[in-house]
Amino acid sequence: MATNPNLDQLDIQLIDLLARDARVSNRKIAVELGVTEGTVRGRIKRLQQDGLIAFTAITGFEMGTRARLAFINVQANADKVREVAAQIADLPSINAVLITMGQFNITAMCLIDELDTLVEIASDRILSLSGVHHVETSIAVKTAKYNSRMAKITPRTDPIDED
Amino acid sequence: MTQPFAFDATDTNIVEQLRKNGRANNQQIAEKLGLTATTVSTRIKRLEDANQLRVVAVSDFAAHGFNVLLRISVTVDGRPASEVAQELAELDEVFAVHLVTGRYDIDMLVALRDFDDLSHFLLDELSGIRGIRTLTPAIVVDIIKYAFDVAPIESRD
Repeated sequence: MATNPNLDQLDIQLIDLLARDARVSNRKIAVELGVTEGTVRGRIKRLQQDGLIAFTAITGFEMGTRARLAFINVQANADKVREVAAQIADLPSINAVLITMGQFNITAMCLIDELDTLVEIASDRILSLSGVHHVETSIAVKTAKYNSRMAKITPRTDPIDED
Repeated sequence: MTQPFAFDATDTNIVEQLRKNGRANNQQIAEKLGLTATTVSTRIKRLEDANQLRVVAVSDFAAHGFNVLLRISVTVDGRPASEVAQELAELDEVFAVHLVTGRYDIDMLVALRDFDDLSHFLLDELSGIRGIRTLTPAIVVDIIKYAFDVAPIESRD
């Protein structure tokens, strides 16, 4: 993970404000933070370019789809971990893939609509990858806390639209 | 929980545009979808008011100075796991807590600035929560992917 680059107080205020609502205009932000609109525009652009923030739409967990979060814990051969992790990340409906040191060396998280999907992803697709020798799943039945405003921002392929 | 809410095709298209660029203004979205800016604005407000949508800045772990990420699986003894989860959720370092099926009772993700913060977290914070029987940690050494565009949405104050 990258270390914290030089973020000043203004950057942090800006991130906090945009984490609540990303659709507030530069003008409003400028007034609230007591800086010029140009400063706001410049700062946002820099934070985006440095991969520190991204703007997105989050839809409700329990809406229509009744999606549930599931964890897929994987034991893979040490020399294949990166390769396997990359293959898992490419599977449909996988939201997160972490390489860990512990009982398992890969943890994947996914949102599933039904149990069949989890079985298909975990027991069929992941377990059959070369280098994987054990897979365990668990399903989140209740979420006590989830901070969706924090993530790992990876470069996106499409360019960022200008204001 | 909110009552069932139906997304129609227009809602879905607007959400898709916002996922691409949450800072796109109503006029830009309207032009792409052949709608009026007023319709776009009304639809977004309706989804937000129903707690079905948030358009937000997501920030990188690094932007918060978090350089250590741990996944900790917890087993609970002598106390309802949901009570323990609720107390864990109150800790600042804990950014996700779920009650889970399987060999553990609770799964949580913890973000720390560095390993020096671990002793405070373990000895001063976790130790004060009754009912924790075992903690099985895994150190996150690399994040290959971490992107959720579906999440529990809390209502705005």
